[in-house]
Amino acid sequence: MATAPGNDAAHGHGAPSSHEGFLRHGRFRWLKIATVLCAVSLVAYLAVDVEPRPNGGSWIGYALGTIGAGLIVWLSLLGIRKRAITPGRWSLKAWTSAHVYLGLSLIVVATLHTGFQLGLNVHTLAYALMMLVILSGIFGIWVYATLPSALSNNREEMTQGQMVDAIKGLDRQLNDAAQPLGRAEADLVLAALSEDPFGHGLWRRLSGNYPDCATQAALERLALTGTSSAETERVEKLLVRRKAQLERLRRHMRLKALLEVWLYVHVPATMALLAALLAHIISVFFYW
Amino acid sequence: MSFKLRTIELTATGREIVRDRDIASDNLSIGRAAENDIHLPDLAVESRHATATALAGGRVSIKAVGKLSFTIDGSDSTETFIDSAAGAELGFGTYRITVSRDGDAILLTVRQFEESATRSGDLEEKGGFSLSGVLPGKRIMSWSLVGAILAVFLALPVISHMFYDPADKDNTVIGDSSWSTGDLSLAHHKLEDQCEACHVDAFVSVRDETCVSCHEDIHDHADPERLAASRSGHPLGQKFLWAVADTFGKEGPGSCADCHVEHEGARDMESPHQKFCADCHGALAESVPDTRLGDASDFGTLHPQFTPAVVADAATREKVRISLDKKPTEDHGLKFPHKLHLNPKGGAARMAANIGSAGGYGAKGMQCKDCHRPTEDGIRFKPIKMERDCEACHSLSYDKVGGIFRKLSHGDVDQLIADLSAGDLSQPTLTPRRRPGDYAEGRPYHFNFSGSVWKGLQLQTALSDEGICGECHRPMVQSDGKPGVIPVTLSTRYMQNGWFDHKAHKQEKCASCHFAEKSDKASDLLLPGIKDCRTCHLGEDAHEADVPSSCAMCHSYHVPSQVTHQSGGNRKKKG
Repeated sequence: MATAPGNDAAHGHGAPSSHEGFLRHGRFRWLKIATVLCAVSLVAYLAVDVEPRPNGGSWIGYALGTIGAGLIVWLSLLGIRKRAITPGRWSLKAWTSAHVYLGLSLIVVATLHTGFQLGLNVHTLAYALMMLVILSGIFGIWVYATLPSALSNNREEMTQGQMVDAIKGLDRQLNDAAQPLGRAEADLVLAALSEDPFGHGLWRRLSGNYPDCATQAALERLALTGTSSAETERVEKLLVRRKAQLERLRRHMRLKALLEVWLYVHVPATMALLAALLAHIISVFFYW
Repeated sequence: MSFKLRTIELTATGREIVRDRDIASDNLSIGRAAENDIHLPDLAVESRHATATALAGGRVSIKAVGKLSFTIDGSDSTETFIDSAAGAELGFGTYRITVSRDGDAILLTVRQFEESATRSGDLEEKGGFSLSGVLPGKRIMSWSLVGAILAVFLALPVISHMFYDPADKDNTVIGDSSWSTGDLSLAHHKLEDQCEACHVDAFVSVRDETCVSCHEDIHDHADPERLAASRSGHPLGQKFLWAVADTFGKEGPGSCADCHVEHEGARDMESPHQKFCADCHGALAESVPDTRLGDASDFGTLHPQFTPAVVADAATREKVRISLDKKPTEDHGLKFPHKLHLNPKGGAARMAANIGSAGGYGAKGMQCKDCHRPTEDGIRFKPIKMERDCEACHSLSYDKVGGIFRKLSHGDVDQLIADLSAGDLSQPTLTPRRRPGDYAEGRPYHFNFSGSVWKGLQLQTALSDEGICGECHRPMVQSDGKPGVIPVTLSTRYMQNGWFDHKAHKQEKCASCHFAEKSDKASDLLLPGIKDCRTCHLGEDAHEADVPSSCAMCHSYHVPSQVTHQSGGNRKKKG
């Protein structure tokens, strides 16, 4: 998603602008609609006296459940809708804005639908999956609102390809510079060159913490050998530069991972939710 | 035999540059250092890695100098012999050296295979910036979860339901417990794992006939036509909801499940709230004009006055229901008022006090409990029994033979006639008690109790107002012409359609509700009216009341006179 929300203070307050983020879209039109939906649901919930206690099987429960199920299905259609980027009133941005705010309103609508009766059953499974989807979505909104600027600052006008090329250039120089080194030193450089910056797992990427970085290790061990020939000095300088480039690449990967990782929860949990929702609805009518 | 070295390098455009060099020596050094005969600038290669020695017959010996090995046709080796006519490929780091024969010379062709200095390969080709490299794909995760959830929570119970045998009690539907929205009430706990016991057919709501298959004795609240008529006054919204429910196959208002909601937790099934009653009874006079019932929707605000069944005629024992607003009196057959016994300064109270604990009486004289004894369950009172409750004072002795007092048999007129006719009344019956003070023999108040002289024990007058029976009973002539007394009808239960539990009120004094002490007429009906009840009891939602009370506290839907659900020992306190 190219448009970052929340960074449009420069475009005036509320004035429609082509750079308006999806959160502020249409002067918060969908925020208002979602708020009204929540308020109406809450008032109805409080006004209707369900005996013996509120539950999803009362008429108000069915009404809230129908609204909730409809919303869930529509919200999940964003996965299909997003593949066509269109402008206008029903633009993808408008759709995304509605997706966010209506999705958040589900917290109220679906929770009231449960009547706060939760248990170990398929119904609560659907509710829990829905909350997981919403929470991951909230995380997604947060990272989309905050990380793109950090991503841009870190790149300093470099493209991903340029970052890789920079490392590759340094590697070629290291390769040449290390030729005169002895076996032990050469192995250190070789290990640094052999380390795949993309080869680490999810946790390393998200934390940006690489305790076993081979480039760092090569630097430390070369310093320990104590030999300060012109050749090793040159190699050390190259390794320092390699380390700096590598760190930029890793920060870039960390930010990209944060921007992406919630979708690895959001999307599968949405599909699981649709399945649980289907089972929930069918089971209710099966044992009617 | 000499060596011939051929190096092949690639230009940036992919064109090959081939350089040939003849080497006169039979011994070649191979390594990273520039002084080697075959210089392989790869950090993975040792400075002096191996030597190649030409042997007789075109054979070549390759031997590693240090610890690092090399590969010969893909397998590791530190020393090997190659027939150059047959050929072989040696590997040192990223370099490959092909051994072959070129005329008389042994041809060594050197070629580097992996150009990239970054030994982890081509970074850009990996597209490694995406998380797709380190996480399973979203698609595979999605469909796995979808498959698992649908299989466990939908397909399993549905298929199991299609093939289970309803006749086999041990063979229940598998996997449907995940469909339960909550524990069943305690009464239905046994059915917890047998969903199909109530949910008999798929997509068919729970039927009354299923409930009735166990609850055989349940009968309708009222005539079905009258029930239907009573619902005609329901608001439009409610009618609409029932129309929707009907579309989805629900049985409609008045069905078992309409009031009795299940899956609300393992506790007593909650009594229906008063609105279920009030829906119809709130304006019953409008919807069912010929009803004898007053409108009722809330005990505190709309409930008719009580109409107890009182004895209208003691002789016939006929009972009629009269509203307490009409201040009804009762003709129960006895002739004395409560005050006679309860007045603390009265003779009866004094006498009881004198008898004291020997007769079960306290120092304050007569109390309600001296005659009205609670039933074992404490809900009501046992019928008054003359021998138990009255005779301590009201002696039926009429004669003394030897040391034995002969007593009349209470309630048996024929026996009384026989006893009093046959008794030897010539001898005065001496009271065994000697009394002190002014009551003593020879003193002014002395009374020589004597059956023979007291009219009360003479056959002609015993049943009259002056007789021993007439102390409490009203005389009458029986249908066969014999003398007798008007039968006594003491009600143990006045409210036949409501339920009252004295035990639940035991913290109250009797006099809080029954003003017996001041009752000076035998016909006084000492029942409290609805106003008295409302000092503590108001409607279900009246939180200001000491006891918010729903309809079900006193009334039962199915059997009006039966113990109600709430009063049946499991009464719950309302919050």
